[in-house]
Amino acid sequence: MMTLEGVALKLSPYSFPMITTPACRTPHTFRRFLVSASTAAAPPASLSLGHSTRPDFPILHQEVNGSRLVYLDNAATSQKPITVLKALQDYYQGYNSNVHRGIHYLSSKATMEYELARKKISEFINASDAREIVFTRNATEAINLVAHSWGLQNIKSNDEILLTIAEHHSAIVPWQLVAQKTGAILKYVELNEDGVPDVEKLKDMLSRKTKLVVVHHVSNVLGSVLPIEDITCCAHDVGAKVLVDACQSVPHMAVDVQDLNADFLVASSHKMCGPTGIGFLYGKSDLFSSMPPFLGGGEMISDVFLDHSTYAEPPSRFEAGTPAIGEAIGLGAAIDYLSGIGMQRIHEYEIELAKYLYDSLCSIPNIRIYGPVPSEDVHRAALCSFNVENIHPTDLATLLDQQHGVAIRSGHHCAQPLHRHLGVGASARASLYFYNTREDVDDFIHALNDTVRFFNSFK
Amino acid sequence: MSSSSSISSSFRLFTTKLPNSSFNPKTLSAFPKHPNFSSFRRPISFERIPTISSSRSPSALAPSASMPLQPIEELPPKLREIVKLFQSVPVPKAKYEELLYYGKKLKPLEDKYKTKENKVEGCVSQVWVRAYLDSDKNVFFEAASDALISKGLAALLVKGLSGEPVEEILRVRPDFALHLGLQQSLSPGRNNGFLNMLKLMQKKAKDLVSGSDSVDLGLNSQVGGEKISTSGSEIDGGIEGSSLGLSSNENAEQLSGTSEKISTLGSRINGGIESVNVESRSEGNVKELEVVGSVSNEEESNSGDLGGRGKRIREALARELSPVELEVEDISYQHAGHAGVRGSGDGETHFNVRVVTKEFEGKSMIKRHRLIYGLLQEELESGLHALSIEAKTPAEVSTK
Repeated sequence: MMTLEGVALKLSPYSFPMITTPACRTPHTFRRFLVSASTAAAPPASLSLGHSTRPDFPILHQEVNGSRLVYLDNAATSQKPITVLKALQDYYQGYNSNVHRGIHYLSSKATMEYELARKKISEFINASDAREIVFTRNATEAINLVAHSWGLQNIKSNDEILLTIAEHHSAIVPWQLVAQKTGAILKYVELNEDGVPDVEKLKDMLSRKTKLVVVHHVSNVLGSVLPIEDITCCAHDVGAKVLVDACQSVPHMAVDVQDLNADFLVASSHKMCGPTGIGFLYGKSDLFSSMPPFLGGGEMISDVFLDHSTYAEPPSRFEAGTPAIGEAIGLGAAIDYLSGIGMQRIHEYEIELAKYLYDSLCSIPNIRIYGPVPSEDVHRAALCSFNVENIHPTDLATLLDQQHGVAIRSGHHCAQPLHRHLGVGASARASLYFYNTREDVDDFIHALNDTVRFFNSFK
Repeated sequence: MSSSSSISSSFRLFTTKLPNSSFNPKTLSAFPKHPNFSSFRRPISFERIPTISSSRSPSALAPSASMPLQPIEELPPKLREIVKLFQSVPVPKAKYEELLYYGKKLKPLEDKYKTKENKVEGCVSQVWVRAYLDSDKNVFFEAASDALISKGLAALLVKGLSGEPVEEILRVRPDFALHLGLQQSLSPGRNNGFLNMLKLMQKKAKDLVSGSDSVDLGLNSQVGGEKISTSGSEIDGGIEGSSLGLSSNENAEQLSGTSEKISTLGSRINGGIESVNVESRSEGNVKELEVVGSVSNEEESNSGDLGGRGKRIREALARELSPVELEVEDISYQHAGHAGVRGSGDGETHFNVRVVTKEFEGKSMIKRHRLIYGLLQEELESGLHALSIEAKTPAEVSTK
């Protein structure tokens, strides 16, 4: 066993990921990676990433309504590999204990693993310090934390908050609440003719009144990627902060918060092979230091008197109460798993799969796919939201599930303003992850054709 | 007013208020006639509040894993037929075709009814449901949707529940959909369209019948204030026969040109004169009420055209229970032609029964029903197909 961060560990019966020697870190290519002791040996070259990783996900091997499950709803939530499941079980079975205050063995072990998970996250996104990671319940809570702690303090009447109309409700509603309380004004950037948020217009809309820019990194409906570095650069020029919703990017590509220069960044564990109930907020140290608490209670205090209390330093200041310890450790295990594959490799595989999905969908008659057309310069995320003329997406999704075992999503995908702008009430969405294969796409297209024929013949 | 037991006249009428005054919709479902009324209807059934006829609570709308599936027999007849039809289709795909076909046949819903109150929550597609009372005071539904599958489900519910007695509508549990074999998700909560569709329809039916202000009547709104005068009645015990001024102050939305007037008078007027089912009459003819019929001693016959079985039912109940109120209605015609009825001989197969008696005091709903069934055992064995029972004590009635 290696010593970790100065904490000596006795031989432990629990297998958890080993820590490697620190790798040299250059901003763009290499990332520090952690090898998971329990992943398989390198897969044979002929197998795609999807094929080689599928065995790690037991949930994918089942039948649904008489057909093989084809899970294409990863933008909603991802599946968990065995190592993550094991990490959760190991925690509860072996060393579950409350963190941070305990003296005894179990407690110190739990604390160590919990803080190790924080460290893994910080390294995963290249934060400069683990204290820039605050554990939350999910990305939504993280955004609310910023809105409450930073927003209410720093945003005044007539200040402007800039968002795109393609934002997820979780990135919109907290700021509506802030605007109600402070008198600030929300402004929205619309789509350009390529079907993506108009970045040039966004830059135009920036002014000294703008205090915050809230943008997604990758859109969960359009599949488009925004140039965050560009946006943060322009935003900082006018003195505005930038909050990046990285829920659809962190799971699928290497994200470097220092490169992006984001002030705040949020993501959810359950979309990146980790358990539900945990997520994180990244924030620059100086911002965190200036922010008052969000929730009050145990763990976030320093001293408590009858009429006042003093608060802990970040990140503890923003982590009231007993955290989701097992889940945080599970997220750490997920990060190990992903790092074991390599985010670059995942990203490249998904770019290919994205193109294959898009091209295959184009073969469906009367289909309209939202978002940009993929090309050499324009990469789409491996998801497509679409509508087939005269067929309601719910009808499509229902029959795809019932007749073919294909799981997609139908609805507004928590992006009602976007759908309103697109002029539709709902859309169908197929979203892939690295454990999907071309066969999954083929099955989906075959099923979709069948379903479309069924409904067309009925009319 | 004389006490019920001494009433021996042939029909019971009671003074209605003047046509323009308000009836309590709870107690009456009386509608003025339209001059152009033409057809003749049999006694109209009450819309009753739900009775518990089994140990399951009628409000258990959410299916629970531990509860057994609601047996098909408990479903209202039309819905039962639909379920059986689906069960007979072996292939899931064909079931969907069937469902879509129902949707296709669904009568379109006018845009003005696509309101917020009519919108079903939890559907990813848009579904609207409208409920109204027809001239017979039965609940009917209309629906629309922009997606085919939910349209089909809505059509299925519309067809299966329209015209059924309200307590049967309310008794339907959403897990009946499992019988369809369509694998409709039935998880309760905001996002279950089908569950919410059914719930909304049940709520609307209940509201309509209990006379909430937003009652939507499929009736001619001009029918205020017409009377049906009757011939003099010889009624012992002083129930004055007088005009049945059947008017309604409820908002009638639809103007149906040939709406039939229904006069169902179910009021409890001091002293326990029981309600009377009065047949509606043909236009213009102010006949004496068909209600005038059999004279029975010591009995409150309410409807003269009860056949043999109906009379026997009444006799048995009156004799054994000494009710202060007793109504027996033959609603077999509503079920005429469906499988349960064929072959039952005299056609008297379905009845609504309302009994108010001290005998029920201290007895649970189930016990009350069992008591009644026990008294009618012979009838049940000889072709009586279904009883819809309302069993109350006088105390319960007077607190209404």
